[in-house]
Amino acid sequence: MPESELKYLKPQALAFKEEMILNMGPQHPSTHGVLNFLVVTDGEVIHQALPNVGYLHRGIEKLAEQTSYTGFIPFTDRIDYLAAMFANHVYVLAVESLAEIEVPERAQFLRVIACELNRIASHLISTGALALDIGASTPFVHWIRERECINDIMEAICGARLTYSYMRVGGVSRDISQKIVDDIYKFLDHFEPIIDEYNRLISFNEIFVRRLADVAIISPVDAVNFGLVGPNLRGSGITMDIRKIIPYSVYDQFDFDIPIGKGFKGSLGDCYDRYFVRILEIKESCSILRQALSQIPKGDIKAKVKRKLKIKENECYACVESARGEMGMYLVSDGSDRPYRLKIKTGSFTAMSIVEKVSQGLMVADLIALIGSLDVVAPEIDR
Amino acid sequence: MTPYFNAVATTLYSIFEGMAVTTSYLFRRPSTIQYPNKLEKPLEEQLSDRYRGILQVDTSVCIGCRICEKTCPIDCIAINLEKNKETKERFLTRFDIDISKCMFCGLCSENCSTCAIYHTKFFNGATQNVDELVVRFVDSPIVLYKHRKDSDPKTREKDLSGVIVKQKMVKQRMKKQKTAKQEMPVNKISKHKIKEEIL
Amino acid sequence: MKENANLLFVFLFKTPIEGSGYSLAWYILFVFIIAGALLFFAANFAGITSFIERRIAARIQTRVGPNVVGPQGILQWVADGIKLLLKEDLIPDRADQFLFRVAPYFVFSGLFAAFVALPFGYGIVAADLNVGVYYIFAITSLVVVGIIMGGWSSNSKWALFGALRSAAQIISYEIPTALSLIPVIMLTGSLSTQDIIKAQGGLPWDWFVFHSPFTFVCFVVFFISALAEGNRIPFDLPEAESELVSGYNTEYSGFRFLVFPMAEWANLWVIAAMVSLTYLGGWQVPFVSIETLSGSLVLIFLSVAVFVIKTSIVVFIVMQLRWTLPRVRVDQMTQLCWTYLVPFCLVAIVGTMIWMLIFPWETRVALLLRLMMFGIGFAFCFFYVRRIRFNYFNDKTAYENLKKKSPWYPIWRLP
Ligand code: SF4
Ligand code: SF4
Repeated sequence: MPESELKYLKPQALAFKEEMILNMGPQHPSTHGVLNFLVVTDGEVIHQALPNVGYLHRGIEKLAEQTSYTGFIPFTDRIDYLAAMFANHVYVLAVESLAEIEVPERAQFLRVIACELNRIASHLISTGALALDIGASTPFVHWIRERECINDIMEAICGARLTYSYMRVGGVSRDISQKIVDDIYKFLDHFEPIIDEYNRLISFNEIFVRRLADVAIISPVDAVNFGLVGPNLRGSGITMDIRKIIPYSVYDQFDFDIPIGKGFKGSLGDCYDRYFVRILEIKESCSILRQALSQIPKGDIKAKVKRKLKIKENECYACVESARGEMGMYLVSDGSDRPYRLKIKTGSFTAMSIVEKVSQGLMVADLIALIGSLDVVAPEIDR
Repeated sequence: MTPYFNAVATTLYSIFEGMAVTTSYLFRRPSTIQYPNKLEKPLEEQLSDRYRGILQVDTSVCIGCRICEKTCPIDCIAINLEKNKETKERFLTRFDIDISKCMFCGLCSENCSTCAIYHTKFFNGATQNVDELVVRFVDSPIVLYKHRKDSDPKTREKDLSGVIVKQKMVKQRMKKQKTAKQEMPVNKISKHKIKEEIL
Repeated sequence: MKENANLLFVFLFKTPIEGSGYSLAWYILFVFIIAGALLFFAANFAGITSFIERRIAARIQTRVGPNVVGPQGILQWVADGIKLLLKEDLIPDRADQFLFRVAPYFVFSGLFAAFVALPFGYGIVAADLNVGVYYIFAITSLVVVGIIMGGWSSNSKWALFGALRSAAQIISYEIPTALSLIPVIMLTGSLSTQDIIKAQGGLPWDWFVFHSPFTFVCFVVFFISALAEGNRIPFDLPEAESELVSGYNTEYSGFRFLVFPMAEWANLWVIAAMVSLTYLGGWQVPFVSIETLSGSLVLIFLSVAVFVIKTSIVVFIVMQLRWTLPRVRVDQMTQLCWTYLVPFCLVAIVGTMIWMLIFPWETRVALLLRLMMFGIGFAFCFFYVRRIRFNYFNDKTAYENLKKKSPWYPIWRLP
């Protein structure tokens, strides 16, 4: 470990001679990408765990200043590769509110459908990967199978399986046909019983429950103070969902619940709550999808937008409820055809800050569960 | 005492349920697609028509508006146009796409008014040399297409399976290898010659 | 042992060994032959099991598994072995060279020595030791010595974690393993593996599992602790790949690495054979008494088949558990051992003692009770099949709609 990093460790943490400094990552199987943790342990018990981010920094915010407004859309896919649709969405929302563009209703519905499908896909990976971190590899592969169906649908909608680039300023790039609608219905019919099967396989498995319940408890106060967002915050029992609080797009037309942690198997705000909130959110997403598909109106999919979009001096903040919580973009324009400055706020970055607080006294295996339950995605942390 | 035995019971029951789920999968169809040699039908047929694969350009219908070049966020399209001063005809002399840079976003093909540039379903273009991934669609100058009233180039038949661009890439590679052979070190060429003489 | 050697000598050379003057040389040669045969069996079993486990795991995970090398991928394990043999044998910088090199041999010898006392059929056992079962558990503990040596000498913190976890695990689980065999020993009055099997019968209700509720508890405890000794999920803490990279064998490569997984799969046979011989009737063929069994060669082969089938079923269950369950935590592992398994065992020992006094083995009532126990076990299997059917039909129509194919694709249909 370099000398410069040692200074971040607490002095009392190094006072004991019995302690060992463990460098977890960046090439560790369970750090969900390239993350590094500096762990001070006494045997299996962790005294301090310091997250060390920045291994995947690509300067996406700076890139935005050099590309045109439309040309930046493919880059937003790369912010969070598991939930690319949300980054697309928040970016086009920001540009639209700056340029004062009205989006057709059908396009809004298509956006919601794509986003909810993506939310399911992202939660599948996060819950499956948590099970994989705990040691059960089968649930992960079962979820991958379901995600593959979603990927097929996504491919039919927008032509790509991961980097969607689906949304455009003023609408979406492609319309959906009746066949795709039928496919989504068929998928939902197949998928909803599979959620229960998955619960029988792993969620209610007593070994799994005991590995997660009462582990790494984040109290509601801490969750707010550390700026947690999304399922991590809701896991601590706080009802906070951008879709309900600041309804963007057409989310105010749907009827859905916000699942929050209730201490399902242990106490409020433990790893199991964060995990199970995601499973419940998958179910909610299914119901939103069904509503959106049945209500989808006819009409245009894209508003008239100038090819070379120039926006007068202004600034705005737009946010959506991404799979990892509030994802916001602060966009400043200066009258040219490129953003003057773009600031991206992501959920994973704030989630990393709480690791140091809650990891004290956990075991090494619990740290893995904590990281998995926070559902951090390395490129989203670093952008 | 009750929680103690309850824990035992729930553990055993949950393991029982989990085992029943995994056992049932022994009788259910695997979802693997055994790419590339045991496919039920070619992979290109399994992809949707909107699949954004390697780009193909029909230079015969390109009007030379350069919109694709301008919209591409990473500048991987290069177009050169020339004008014959006497006949006032305009030619397309260069249309290169650097596939190694392209991120298959679809911005270029979306804005093309004649659908001259479009995505195919061809995706496995791996080579050993990055330079080979620059596909040159113009071999000799081509007269630019002009809009006519009687025909709409958008409805023409497109090569979605990507056979043409695939052949193009293969041809380019062969050409490269040929030129590489010509530039072989001298002693090797002489050895070849000696062999030929003996034969 | 000696008699067998004599018999083989007479069979091969048609002269009695006594007068031939080669007796000592022949005995030594015979020992080597037997050891070679066992080694051959263990190594091949480990390899083939690794292949079968991968195929079964793949089907559980809706995948196909290795099916390219050889017909249906049957030679995959050979290819893997050759690949690992050809790899460079790396030794990390500042590792304890000597310990690092010898550690795999401890693991290796500890496991293969266990095969000496394992029976394969009637009278087919390399050495029918009078302390058979305890010999097996004592000698397999040598594995942990190898693991600790390997983990400590690797000069890697992950490997050290794995090694210390392994030490904690195997020391804890020796106790329930030994305790849970006491009812069997009480029922048999002997420690020899052959005697234990002979005390049981061929039919399910004559097995020790169904003797009483207490032996059933002991069977479950024995199974769990055998899993823990074999480092199988849910107790694969020493090499928890998502926590400790690869645990104690993180730094190993090439042949030295190959030894660890090979030992793990060979251990699978040891676990399964122990379970089936102590509680599931071993090689006892139904409706055939031991006297008739000893007389005919065909029946002896049948007994081998019975034993192999029983063991394979147990191996299959162990495999399936591995692909179903998550991993327990280190403190939960010891907690499970000391607060659940050991007390259960102690109660079950006392319970079996009393049961034996009240209902001696031969009485009618005991037989009736055993039949009842068997009925309960059968009902359990029935419900298991019901649940499997439920899971299958739960998804059937929706799957057919989605994929336009029937989901029916049983395991014997090879893709
Ligand atoms: S697909 Fe995107 S990156 Fe590729 S050439 Fe077209 S605009 Fe450029
Ligand atoms: S390919 Fe299309 S967009 Fe590009 S120059 Fe030709 S006509 Fe214009």
